[in-house]
Amino acid sequence: MAITSTSWSAVSSRIALAGALALCAIVLPQSASPRFYPDDPLWTDNDRVADASKVTSVEDSNGYDFIVNTLGNPGEVRDVRALNVNTVDEVPDSSWFTNRIGRSPMSTEAIKRGPDRADRIDVTTWKVSGGKTTGVQPGFRMTDGQGQIYQIEIDPPSNPEIASGAEMIGTAFYHAIGYNVVDVYLAEVDRDTLVIADDATIRDPLNGRRRQMKKYDLDTVFNRAARLKNGHYRVLVSRFAAGTPLGNFRYYSRRPDDPNDLVLHEHRRELRGARVFGAWLNHDDSRGINSLDMLERTNGRAWVKHYMFDFGSILGSGTIFAQRHRSGNEYIYEQKPGWITMATLGLYVRPWITIDYPDVPKSVGRIEAVRFDPVTWKPEYPNAAFANMRADDAFWAARIVSKFSDAAIRAVVEKAEYSDPAATDYLTKTIIARRDKVVATWINQVCPVVDTTLSADGTLAFMNAAIDAKAATAPERYELNWFRFDNATDQRTSVGEPMRVTTGSARMPNGLTGDFVGVSITAVHAQQPGWAVPSTFFFRRTSAGWSLVGVERGAVSATIS
Amino acid sequence: MPCVVLLFLVIVSLASTPASGQEAQTREEADRQRREQQAKDVTPYKPNGLERALDFAEDRAIFLLDREGFHPKLGSLTTGSGFAYGVGFRDRDLFSNRGALEIWAAGSIKRYWATEARMTFPRLANNHLHLEAWGSRRDYPQENFFGLGPDSNRDDRSDYAIRTDHFGGRAGVRPVEHLLAGGGMEYLKPRLGAGQNDLYPDVPVLFPPSDVPGIDSRSDYMRSSAFVEVDYREPIYAKKGGWYRFDYSHYDDRTTDQFSFNRFDADVRQFFGFLAGRRVIALRLAASTSETDAGQTMPFFFMPTLGGNDTLRGFREYRFRAPHAILAQAEYRWEIWSGFDGALFYDAGKVADTRSELNFKDLESDYGVGFRFNTNNGVMFRVDAAFGSSDGNHLYIVVGGVF
Repeated sequence: MAITSTSWSAVSSRIALAGALALCAIVLPQSASPRFYPDDPLWTDNDRVADASKVTSVEDSNGYDFIVNTLGNPGEVRDVRALNVNTVDEVPDSSWFTNRIGRSPMSTEAIKRGPDRADRIDVTTWKVSGGKTTGVQPGFRMTDGQGQIYQIEIDPPSNPEIASGAEMIGTAFYHAIGYNVVDVYLAEVDRDTLVIADDATIRDPLNGRRRQMKKYDLDTVFNRAARLKNGHYRVLVSRFAAGTPLGNFRYYSRRPDDPNDLVLHEHRRELRGARVFGAWLNHDDSRGINSLDMLERTNGRAWVKHYMFDFGSILGSGTIFAQRHRSGNEYIYEQKPGWITMATLGLYVRPWITIDYPDVPKSVGRIEAVRFDPVTWKPEYPNAAFANMRADDAFWAARIVSKFSDAAIRAVVEKAEYSDPAATDYLTKTIIARRDKVVATWINQVCPVVDTTLSADGTLAFMNAAIDAKAATAPERYELNWFRFDNATDQRTSVGEPMRVTTGSARMPNGLTGDFVGVSITAVHAQQPGWAVPSTFFFRRTSAGWSLVGVERGAVSATIS
Repeated sequence: MPCVVLLFLVIVSLASTPASGQEAQTREEADRQRREQQAKDVTPYKPNGLERALDFAEDRAIFLLDREGFHPKLGSLTTGSGFAYGVGFRDRDLFSNRGALEIWAAGSIKRYWATEARMTFPRLANNHLHLEAWGSRRDYPQENFFGLGPDSNRDDRSDYAIRTDHFGGRAGVRPVEHLLAGGGMEYLKPRLGAGQNDLYPDVPVLFPPSDVPGIDSRSDYMRSSAFVEVDYREPIYAKKGGWYRFDYSHYDDRTTDQFSFNRFDADVRQFFGFLAGRRVIALRLAASTSETDAGQTMPFFFMPTLGGNDTLRGFREYRFRAPHAILAQAEYRWEIWSGFDGALFYDAGKVADTRSELNFKDLESDYGVGFRFNTNNGVMFRVDAAFGSSDGNHLYIVVGGVF
């Protein structure tokens, strides 16, 4: 009997265990996060909420940035959806990015104006307040009457207007895209009237020590400057950003001392997608050391604002010379082509060497659109965020690029005030052609259905971003798969038969009920195989009908090699 | 008893439900909680060792060689001196940055040593005038000598020591951007001695004084010179363009009036870039000729030489020496990576006892392969391997370029 008693004890224990586990199972799922919160989709990521006053400066050296990114494979390479997108697959406004042209139309005038607070500036009453501390472009600092500091940079004699023009154009474009950038202006200075402030200092280029700035320091700058016919100099004037400088951000990892920095940078959508913008505008200098972090304070709390910085080396500009042939085509150090070139004694000719750049004004430098390939475009060295770019990231970026009209592009190029109209014409034409290539390449990697709505009566309407951007013709048909969605368990249940339509309109199948429904859409197009990659839309029932609450684009695995 | 434990677990589990109730009900709240949690875990940024090292390198070390004030002096002193190291002092801020002073002293692993003081004003008169003055002592204790003329024997290797004091000045006018012309005066005080390489005999042991003009001389010289230089290379480590220099010098023996002579040197370098400048054909033709008045002789140590890492690379340093010389060099350079080139080269040249023999017949030659670490401003470091000469194979590891 004792055996029986023991058996009962064991059985009862097992029952109790099973009951406990079942109870836990009931309790625990209820505490799991739902797929969609009531406030989704969020359009603002409040990454100023925690006090970041303990953040310290991280200023990478050129050598470190090059070595780590070239040889170190920093950051995580993972085929994962960007970790900072909201539930509708968009980038919410944050300290990194502000939705501008991508979310709502911008006037050509607003695009051209960019971040600038003034139409023009006059530096004649300003004083030289110090030397320039970073970058290859010669320059110095000036301070206006209110104490605001500006950086002054000149163009090389061999290529007048080249770097300042690139900076003006790049700043306007990157601002309209959504990045934080600083105000930049063009101005003219008379070397002979410049006054050096008594407290102006410079880091001596000969020994690295800080000392009082002298007249010959300005001579050194202007000896390397393109001079105007009137003896003056065209200069680029960049307003210093507000706050305390914190060095640069990196395209990988996070700031360990910033509580607001939750997402690995290589998985931020706006940094992954910067590869598309970089390719479009040949921003081969898109690397960590050309970024800027500033510590700002709002309501007594400190937070870090992240800037894109230094566009003097985009398009055809190499800042102090015309851009190199290699630019955009190969990393500075890329093993395979180098070893082959060495082994063949140079008989192997890298493809980019044979690019025939047209004979254009020297202010343009070296850029073209005929041999440009958005997929194979490369910055100066590997970039962890670019390496993680997926089709959905690229689609997001390409759609933004598609928003820049021909007129807007011309207006931005005109902001560079090239003295030769041929420079303006050529750059405008080239940027438009590169835009078309970028959009056609990246907008078609997934099914480009956008602006999807589901009305209260069950009518689905959508647009095709590729057709809107004139990057594709209409598909043969769209294929829709409807499903019911359980927000608590993340489960989808197919409802109805797959639906085929030829226009951007369809009816929700009968019997599809619930608080959340969804539809997965693909398109059949002979020239666009990427359209077979589904885009999926989730709707939440509201008192007024249905509202879009979720978007997924692309396959589970979508990293672009 | 187990039932009690399990019940306890269930209660604990249920007791945790209120905590679940505190979980974020909105996305914004969830993100805020994550940030508040992270705020507890923030750690100061700590640069790693590589980062610190490269920071130091860019912040301080790159100023080490090029810094103002005292600085290390590294490199070679002359062809065949071996690696040299020493200390220098420079001030490039003279007269409101118009002039520069450089003083240095260095010794090499082969016991060569030199010291020099030089003052330069490179950009006077709005970049149209160049002035410089110098004083130096150079002590080269084991210079090769194989005899004079094109038929010297490689087995007749001997050596000698030479110490020369120099004091001089030069002025150049730059009327247009690529042209510099001018002249200068220099006082030279060369003194010869026994070679200090124990592996080889001194010059007088192998050669009679009549075969080595000036071996016993203790003359001082005044050298007056004129030059023209055209430089339109793009960039300085050229992918295209040319560099031409012509020097005419009169050496006046101020002591014995036996060793006065005139010397003319021409050096023409042309660069042809193709395939976007990633391939360059570099050509050099250099010639040196001299003349003496009746009763005068050109000292052997002022004669042009061939052989070594920058002339005939398949031959030892100063393998050939005579009053006249001609040198042709060709390099095919191909860019492997940015800042790293490969090179195939061919050198040919000869020395001649008379000017009439200064032609392209019976040239000594070599060929080879090399690699260069370069910037637009020149070659920092190169490795050249030369073959095909009658003097064996030679490997050079050199700070600086060829041409």
